[in-house]
Amino acid sequence: MDKLGVFLCSGCGIGDALDLGAVDKAARERGCKTTLTNPCLCAEEGLQAIRDAVASGSLNGILICACSERAKAQAFDGLKSNEIGLYRVSLREQVIWTHPAGHEDTQALAEDLVRMGLARLEKTKPFKLLEDSIADTVLVVGGGRAGLEAARTASALGHPVIVVEKGDRIGGRLAAQVSILPERPPYDQPQPNPMPGLIAAVEADANVTILTAASIAKITGQPGQFEVCVATASAEQTFRAGAIVQATGARPYDARKLAHLGYGASPDVVTSHELEAMLAAGKVERPSDHSTPNRIVFIQCAGSRDPQHLPYCSSECCSQTLRQVAEVRRIAPAVESAVVYKDMRTPGLLEHFYLGVQASSGVMMTRGEVAKVEANGKLSVHLSSSLLGDQAAIDTDLVVLAVGMVPNSADGVAIRALHDARTRAQTSESEAQRKESAELAEKLADHEGTEILNLEYRQGPDLPTLRYGFPDSHFICFPYETRRTGIYAAGTLRAPMDAVEAAEDGCGAALKAVQCVAAARRGEAVHPRAGERTVPDFALQRCTQCKRCTEECPFGTLNEDQKGTPQFYSLRCRRCGICLGSCPERIVSFPDYSVDMVATMIKAMKVPEDFEEKPRIVAMLCENDAYPALDAAAARRVQLNPWVRVIPVRCLGSFNIVWVAEALSRGIDGVILIGCKYGDDYQCHYMHGSELANTRLGNVGETLQRLALEPERVKVVELSHEEFHRISTVLDEYAAELEEMGPNPLKGF
Amino acid sequence: MTEPNALPLLVIGAGIAGLTAALEVAEAGAAVVLVERDPWIGGRVLRSHHYFPKMCPPTCGMEINIKRIERNPRLRVLTSSRVSAAERTAQGWSVTITSDPAFVNSRCTACGECEKTCTTEVADPFNLGLASVKAIRLPHLNAWPRRYVFDRQACGDDEARVIQQACRYGAVDLDAKPTTETLEVGAVVMATGWKPYPLDKLSELGAEHDDVIANVAMERLASPQGPTAGKILRPSNGQPPKRVAFVQCAGSRDVNHLPYCSGVCCMASLKQALYVHEQLPEATVTMYYIDRRAPGRNEDVLLKVAALDGVRLVKGKVGKIDLVDGALSLRVEDVEAGTLCEDAADLVVLATGMMPSVADEESPVFAAKDDDGFLIDDLQARVTVAGVARRPVDVAASVRDATGAAARAWAAAGRRA
Amino acid sequence: MAPIPVLAPSPALRRMLAERGAGSAARCYQCATCSSVCELAPEAAPFPRRQMLLAQWGLGEQLMGDPALWLCHQCNDCNERCPRDAQPGDVLQILRAAAVEALAFPSFLGRLVGNVRATWPFLVGLPIVFWIVLLAATTGLHVPGVNPELSGLEGPFHYQEFVPHALIYIVYTLTALWVLVAAWVGGRRLWNRLGQHGARHGSFFAKLIPAVLEISTHRRFARCGESSLRRWGHLAVMWGFVGAAVTSGLLIPYLYRDSLFSWLPLPFAHDYPLPLDHPLKWLGNVSAVVLVIGGALLWKSRLGPADRRSGQTTAFDRFFLWTVLAVIATGVLTEALRFLAPPVVACTVYLAHLGIVLTLFVTFPYSKFAHLLYRTLAMVHQLMVDAATQAGVQSKTEEESR
Repeated sequence: MDKLGVFLCSGCGIGDALDLGAVDKAARERGCKTTLTNPCLCAEEGLQAIRDAVASGSLNGILICACSERAKAQAFDGLKSNEIGLYRVSLREQVIWTHPAGHEDTQALAEDLVRMGLARLEKTKPFKLLEDSIADTVLVVGGGRAGLEAARTASALGHPVIVVEKGDRIGGRLAAQVSILPERPPYDQPQPNPMPGLIAAVEADANVTILTAASIAKITGQPGQFEVCVATASAEQTFRAGAIVQATGARPYDARKLAHLGYGASPDVVTSHELEAMLAAGKVERPSDHSTPNRIVFIQCAGSRDPQHLPYCSSECCSQTLRQVAEVRRIAPAVESAVVYKDMRTPGLLEHFYLGVQASSGVMMTRGEVAKVEANGKLSVHLSSSLLGDQAAIDTDLVVLAVGMVPNSADGVAIRALHDARTRAQTSESEAQRKESAELAEKLADHEGTEILNLEYRQGPDLPTLRYGFPDSHFICFPYETRRTGIYAAGTLRAPMDAVEAAEDGCGAALKAVQCVAAARRGEAVHPRAGERTVPDFALQRCTQCKRCTEECPFGTLNEDQKGTPQFYSLRCRRCGICLGSCPERIVSFPDYSVDMVATMIKAMKVPEDFEEKPRIVAMLCENDAYPALDAAAARRVQLNPWVRVIPVRCLGSFNIVWVAEALSRGIDGVILIGCKYGDDYQCHYMHGSELANTRLGNVGETLQRLALEPERVKVVELSHEEFHRISTVLDEYAAELEEMGPNPLKGF
Repeated sequence: MTEPNALPLLVIGAGIAGLTAALEVAEAGAAVVLVERDPWIGGRVLRSHHYFPKMCPPTCGMEINIKRIERNPRLRVLTSSRVSAAERTAQGWSVTITSDPAFVNSRCTACGECEKTCTTEVADPFNLGLASVKAIRLPHLNAWPRRYVFDRQACGDDEARVIQQACRYGAVDLDAKPTTETLEVGAVVMATGWKPYPLDKLSELGAEHDDVIANVAMERLASPQGPTAGKILRPSNGQPPKRVAFVQCAGSRDVNHLPYCSGVCCMASLKQALYVHEQLPEATVTMYYIDRRAPGRNEDVLLKVAALDGVRLVKGKVGKIDLVDGALSLRVEDVEAGTLCEDAADLVVLATGMMPSVADEESPVFAAKDDDGFLIDDLQARVTVAGVARRPVDVAASVRDATGAAARAWAAAGRRA
Repeated sequence: MAPIPVLAPSPALRRMLAERGAGSAARCYQCATCSSVCELAPEAAPFPRRQMLLAQWGLGEQLMGDPALWLCHQCNDCNERCPRDAQPGDVLQILRAAAVEALAFPSFLGRLVGNVRATWPFLVGLPIVFWIVLLAATTGLHVPGVNPELSGLEGPFHYQEFVPHALIYIVYTLTALWVLVAAWVGGRRLWNRLGQHGARHGSFFAKLIPAVLEISTHRRFARCGESSLRRWGHLAVMWGFVGAAVTSGLLIPYLYRDSLFSWLPLPFAHDYPLPLDHPLKWLGNVSAVVLVIGGALLWKSRLGPADRRSGQTTAFDRFFLWTVLAVIATGVLTEALRFLAPPVVACTVYLAHLGIVLTLFVTFPYSKFAHLLYRTLAMVHQLMVDAATQAGVQSKTEEESR
């Protein structure tokens, strides 16, 4: 932007603590014609003053120097548009609340921040709103309960729906159940299976197309514009979809791996699903001789909560077993049931079900581990550390293994890795590399042919999984956020859950799909930067095909052509800016956020040459966590180090090495990056942004040494949103470390 | 695509469930009015220190949600407000919304000048009354709307006038009156949330002793914004505890109290065991349980905690807690060992359950209640229920249910793309 | 390595328990609140959590010899606090009845009393019939007329003219002997089964004294929650019985003192029937009054509104209470009617009294009465087990010190 206005607020004590005249002067020195000081910019009067100034000076850049951008956001954001840039300098939180009033360093800080703000506005460009033709259709993959609930909901919200089911009828595993867990009060007995009704409703819905015995041959494109190719027995057909709900469900854990529980040794050791088939057929009998058993022993956690098998809890088995106990009681009242459990997990209102079934069926229950199931002639279940004794055995006629659930997912990342490894095993120069790749390929061989969605994405044909093969969200508070924009996992595919939860999950995923279509239509980003309208521009003529952006994008936004040139899909983009940080050629820029912009902000700082009194530190803070923490510290009037100049960044992942070079070459003594925790329980909203920043710094280490600079001059610190109490110490300690190292030798060059 | 149903959706309650329901459906294109009793949004989750299983702060997700609100032109948020009357109409509901007097209005810049002149202190509702705050204050550091609240009744008129004069922006209005407005809405999402089961009903578990606290209080002790600035201390003497006991199912899974399982307490206690272990590695932690309920991949947390030095998980529900010469004594059968124990502890955390906020109050918007006071979806009546108002669940499930409830409500309101 | 014990859940036992009102054990989810609120549970072997599990599974073998059944005084603290309303107190009470039946010798009598809900008419009727037959055969059921020679204090006639004392003594002595045998067998059976629940140490009689002391004062019972009412009732009934027993015990030597104790200088003149001011009469009457009071108290605590505190009252308990009260009532009436009613009425009541006393006697080892014996044994056993543990601890410490 070229016509900038600086608006100084003297309210909230800013006017008292700072010489705003001098700040104004600093702004004019940078060539800003329009400046205005107002006692309360956020009040309607102040806002009107700004509007007038913008109109009269036909400004296209507004610099609000008042409170933090997190305060009064709605008041000021109304001023900006795709033609008019707006940036806010936090004179209140970052300066007067956190530094001594009237002090020269405080004044210098204020003036620096205004210069940096102007620099940022100068580099801000107007942008055009995205306009694309967007398809309304919601593709639902999987015709189980979650899938059908998603289909019904999306259709009810007025969207055409296509259901792709690989089996030859819809309904999924649940359709085979004789009853389901209670969904309605009093929650104490099984309820009739709702699937027939649901199936009928969906089949009767003119808005829903159902393709059975079908699989997805290929999906190309992006949200709002997915090109879906479905292969059915008869033919292949292609259609456009706006968003995708994947509800491919889960399958029972393979009981053949549970020999120690007698599976395979005797036909009278069955899985809960095999028992369910009997119950559905209205009988309770021993497979061996079709006689009615006198006693059934149910073994919980068969393969679940077991590092050898499924390390997680499959969530529904305890309640499902109770349901089967109730059904056994109904069908064959004489049969006595016993349940051996580790912990009875009937959370929430299902506790009513637990009590209800106990009271009505007289089931015998004990906590305990099952050492083994003996199957020589008669069945005998050997308990260890049970409530009935440390060692005890119970003879029985039928054993039911409550087997856990395994998601019907495909690990897109692993599949991609497999294919890459295969290629490298052929093409790599060195023998060693070829061997290594071959071994990796061997390790990943299981993923061969597991594709479900067959996405034409550079990062793999399916959703990345989070843990144990479940493509769950990495957020607690945003459970639908997968790492592929516009594709939402739902039901037992996403996480272990019972049928009631799966139904709810289907509804939710449907709304997310509808929402994604709507956002695409508005040309806006979806979560977490929902409503964001700018997209990055790739200056491809300068691209060296290093593929870092295509590999590092957490959302698989970028594909590659043969040469490895990135192909950007704007509607997949979540605007985190990690691509911008990954690019060594600095060819990626948002209109309002770019490498050049931040570099210019660094340039705009005044760097005193005499370190002893005035070192300078650039602190890049994650906008979502570290920066709010600083605001919170400010609200508590915590005093902060005066040498620090804060630059908020979208994500530490958008941090570009060149910024370090820029800073250090200008004599700035250090650069500290403060962002989200990384590691197993990472808190970065873009998965590995802060981790990436850390890696990049690692790489820049030796370069610095070559320049006779200590690598420690740049560092990453993890700080989460609520740790406002740490921020001043973090900065002071870092300042102290720099003091140790002495001034940046490049000062004054 | 034609315009969505002109009538907005009404979401009652701006806890994590209501907030999610409102945001998700508003981002999908619906007009939404979100009504919240408190002067700030976020509800119960903001009073938690961390979420399990990731041990991440709720304020982090709230930061995103606040940005989503601020960017969304279709969502209107009314804080300090409640639905005072409602009647069914052909198109949905006609609701009257009453807002508390805005003694501090939207001109407030949160500069804090008023607070300096205020001398009256009141129990801090954000910190569950565990600390005291000025009668005029920012409700908490991340409060949205970022506006001060004035506990007018607590202040004498003279002080109130002084406070009013301290504000340079005319934000303090001593003559503010309650306001009401009537809205036509297409459907209603009830997200009225939960409240902790009251301690005073748990006298058998020694709830009257200072060092017997509820799990919700433990969250405040662990929080940097809490009464102890994040230090876990014994309320009785301000000393760090050496022996911490977690008593599970304190009032849950119990026909004498809450007959249902509150669904989150096991994980909450495991999480709080981590708070203690990280802050006081020397302290011993004992968790007394009936069943360890860590569904899904929460199992990882259970294994992690169980493996910690100084952490014991004992199967057996505590029957009695007495104060025996200075130390709390817990009477419990160690079921695995088959022996009765009198275990001593310095700090006892009762894993109290969640009960629906509306369990014992009449809500003008009709939604059927089950015997436990949880609300039930009624699509005919165009009312859906989200979060713990519907059933006791953790945050992730609550958000999931809220998204679904929003979808059903929008569909019930007749949205057509 | 020892063979792994094979559990033998008995559907029959579970059905029987369910029929008698212990089906609530099915509701138990083993939280152990009950054990932790029980004031009587030994630390090393708490109850009733474990017994609830065994009842839920119908594992009779483990249950029938379990001292816990007898150590429980059913104060129902557990009932009050049970989060599943599984009524552990009631379940244990019903298990006790089942145990009495299982220990009974001969077993058919055990079953007869165990199923008293159906069989009570026989239990009450047969003894009365027996007396009628016996009298018909001996005295020809001769009802005495009013005897003008008798003084006012003595009353108008003598019951011995209706039932000769010799008959009474023969009948009751024989029954008493029989009861002793049956009780002895039952007691032995229990003692052996108790043996499987913990090693004992020390002598039986050495521990008998503290056990009896405990029983005579009900100190432990006092520790139980709020049900002091039941404690006092229980205490009174027990002492009432002791008094009654002593009275009838002393009467025999008293009546035959001329032949037996002629060498003894005894205070009172030998006259019969005893005048109302006679100490033995007093003892008898006081015991009766105490019994009535105790019975009433128990009645109050039992037959009040059947809340969880009072627990449920089974036919087994009711039968016992009824017989006790009937004995007292008929006894007192018998005494009074001799003065107030024509002999024929008085004698009928007297006949009923003799009958009901016989019922009480005969059913002693099979009715709730049996717990007087079984609880004593269990307490002794427990004391001996405690002693064993202490001894064990001591020897260990000694070893360590060595």
